[in-house]
Amino acid sequence: MMKKPKRPFQWSKLTESRLFLPLVALALILLFDLLFVDGFFDISYSGGRLSGSLINILRNSSTVILLALGMTLVIATGGIDLSVGAIMAIAASVAAIMMNPVIIGVELPPHLMEFINDPNFTFAPLWQVIMGTLIAATICGLWNGVLVAYGNIQPMVATLILMYAGRGIAQLITNGVRIQIFYEPYAFIGGGWLILPFSLYIVAIVFVLAWLLTRKTAIGLFVESVGVNARSSFFSGIEERKIKLLAYTFCGFCAGVAGLVASSNIKTSDSNNIGLDYELDAILAVVIGGTLMTGGRFSLLASIIGGLVIQAITTSMYAIGVAANAVLAIKGVVVILVILLYSEQVRALVRRVTAPKGVSR
Amino acid sequence: MMAKIRRYLVEYRRFVPMAATALLAIVAYSSGAVLYRGMRDPQVFLNLFITTPFLLISAVGMTFVILTGGIDLSVSGVVALTTVAAAALLREGWNAWLVVLAMLVMGTLLGAVMGGFITYLKVQPFIATLAGMWFARGLCFFISDDAIQINNRIYDLLGDTKFLIPLLADPVEQTGAYISPLAVVAMLVLVVGTYVAHRTRFGRTVYAIGGSEQSALLMGLPVNRTKVLVYALSGFCSALAGITLSIYVSSGHGSYARGFELDVIAVVVMAGTSLAGGQGYVFGALFGVLVTDVIQTLIQFHGDISSWWTRIVVGALTLIVIGIQSQLAARSGRGGDRNGAKERVQSEAARRRRRLTVAGVAGGVAVVALAAVLIASLGGNGTGDGTPTAGIPACDFESTRQDEAASLVAGGAVIAYERKGGEDCIHELYAIYPDGRMVLDDGSQQLEVHVTAGEVDQLLSTISARRWFTDEMYDTWHTPCGQCFTYYTTVVYQGQEKTVKAVDGGTDAPADYWQVVSAINGVLAAFDSGE
Repeated sequence: MMKKPKRPFQWSKLTESRLFLPLVALALILLFDLLFVDGFFDISYSGGRLSGSLINILRNSSTVILLALGMTLVIATGGIDLSVGAIMAIAASVAAIMMNPVIIGVELPPHLMEFINDPNFTFAPLWQVIMGTLIAATICGLWNGVLVAYGNIQPMVATLILMYAGRGIAQLITNGVRIQIFYEPYAFIGGGWLILPFSLYIVAIVFVLAWLLTRKTAIGLFVESVGVNARSSFFSGIEERKIKLLAYTFCGFCAGVAGLVASSNIKTSDSNNIGLDYELDAILAVVIGGTLMTGGRFSLLASIIGGLVIQAITTSMYAIGVAANAVLAIKGVVVILVILLYSEQVRALVRRVTAPKGVSR
Repeated sequence: MMAKIRRYLVEYRRFVPMAATALLAIVAYSSGAVLYRGMRDPQVFLNLFITTPFLLISAVGMTFVILTGGIDLSVSGVVALTTVAAAALLREGWNAWLVVLAMLVMGTLLGAVMGGFITYLKVQPFIATLAGMWFARGLCFFISDDAIQINNRIYDLLGDTKFLIPLLADPVEQTGAYISPLAVVAMLVLVVGTYVAHRTRFGRTVYAIGGSEQSALLMGLPVNRTKVLVYALSGFCSALAGITLSIYVSSGHGSYARGFELDVIAVVVMAGTSLAGGQGYVFGALFGVLVTDVIQTLIQFHGDISSWWTRIVVGALTLIVIGIQSQLAARSGRGGDRNGAKERVQSEAARRRRRLTVAGVAGGVAVVALAAVLIASLGGNGTGDGTPTAGIPACDFESTRQDEAASLVAGGAVIAYERKGGEDCIHELYAIYPDGRMVLDDGSQQLEVHVTAGEVDQLLSTISARRWFTDEMYDTWHTPCGQCFTYYTTVVYQGQEKTVKAVDGGTDAPADYWQVVSAINGVLAAFDSGE
């Protein structure tokens, strides 16, 4: 056994940790709930599923967390991906059209027509639907990556194009029709429970995937290096373009998974509303997680906590009776507060307060 | 000859993206005029300015922000907040001019606060304005959950006045080609914006900051003050755009102008303004708006192409303009500091390859987009409902489903409620049955939810108490605005049956009409929670 050198406990070590501030934010919100919302922490078990406000936060934050995982890598390379919401809509449209092509006038053999509203009917098998959707979303991410890395277009502009055109494309795929999804196994992706909501397991899988990708290979290091200084990374032999391409492609993939979860949760392919404004939530989650918008060091776990913070705010506001649309205003204020909390001025203040006496920093 | 053209192109390179957009607008409009007789009407051309004054006004403000290298995502939020706040204040009986003044001050202050965050607290423009957008849009719903109608003489006057064009109109008959006061305001904003950008110290400072903030600072220019002012200016323009929108639709609601900032940014980019800052022209905004409007007009005239093509084509055009820009930047050897640095370390061959890639991608997208439009127009399979951009009446309001509604009533429904239009051009027909069953048919699917029979009974008595069956509840109809709804409501209660129709954005509906609509909507909210 390795013997850990014993060090005196230091406040500054704790406050400098990447997870510290996101956790403090989460704790503050939960404290607020503890004081002002009755029964917020109640968790009940019935019919093979756990339920309660906390479980709801976990369940509802799964799409944002999925997006935030991909977004973390993109932001760590110094970029940004505004198109994730639109990619979700495209993914939902692809999935719906593969399960139910009748809606755009594809003639099915007559013996299949009677199964259209059967909950166990799907045109393409589930694995094909999932594969097809993820491939479509990954191609969208690849497109962003090519524009940013090889077209040398600013990330914000490059992804803005898909953000703008993406919902048009999603409507094009389904010919503007909102397709109802009846297929029950598909609905399980976002709406099913295995004691915990099934979407949480998906989040866990994607997280482990991302973690292995970035922390068990050198890719994570390369991403940070590109984010800190793309040019010097290039000179030190890192193929910065390929790293960027990979980040955007992975972000597209994550958006595809999120699109699957979201569309199966509401059981329609609603091109206009699926993932609307989610790109903002995802970016916010990453920012709350402490990854700088200018790129560099990142932490996937911190981004996940960021996503939870956002959902916790929303759920708490609903719990005290703020109207759904009005929550946005509170979110806006919280964003500014969080950003200020992370600003150098405030951090310097925290250091001054927590630093041991007599030690100047 | 070719050499001469080439020399001109090189000399006036900075105008190329803007000129390309202008040329595209002209070519698109001319080809439309050749194809469709209706587009030769001068009024159709003037409508390009009349239908989207808010887009042009916001684009001018946004151009300034983007010239400094920043971005303002709060535009749509401030626009929505302005419509709601103005409508609420007018409902309180404020003087219309006072309201306009208050809104402009509010927008400017909001912009200045965001600018302050960005400049002094070093918050990223993207984040600060995003928070501003959320804040403004959320605030709308603190003011009012429902759309507030505007019923004001001065507002009506501003909305309905027509400035007839000499030679194209008949001044006696008051018919012929005209331009609206709002379009005039938008053009004024454009002209003033152009003047400020090129002929004032402020304008030069804006360009200097966009070129290099560090150099501008070292030159002793008032960088911080200018940045705050730029965001304040953008806030002012957003508020002005919000006022024009509220005049245009005669109402205010927090969900107006959703995604509007994207339209504005797309317009500014198409106008040839570089998002890296420092390059571009305020006047180009006009061409950006024109291209968007011409595409929309073409799609409307064609009739068979679905409206979502607008977004796809505008997206493709944006990409092409950016492609041209980065080509030019590569040629002149300065395209943003980071790219510039990278440029020097690349070999000539690599640079050429990159240029080819960009050109290839842009060309490919253009070909794909054109081909797709052609295929769609040949196939003619569009259904025509989609997402029209703010203010463009793209819905077909006249055709209703009253026969269906009548058959629902015959089938035992006590309320048949048809709602058509809105931002998404929906066409929904609700039927409420006495036992609490409610069925929604939105044209493509049917949804069913249940409430208690008591709720339905209470709703019916509320409607009856609102004098539904008296003569005070009458039909109103006028041409609906782009984002408004038309309502057909049939109520059966205690042996009486009556249908009333009305249009959102109308100021002439019966006193209790909107209370009835919101009461019905309150019960129909079960559809949202039932999902």
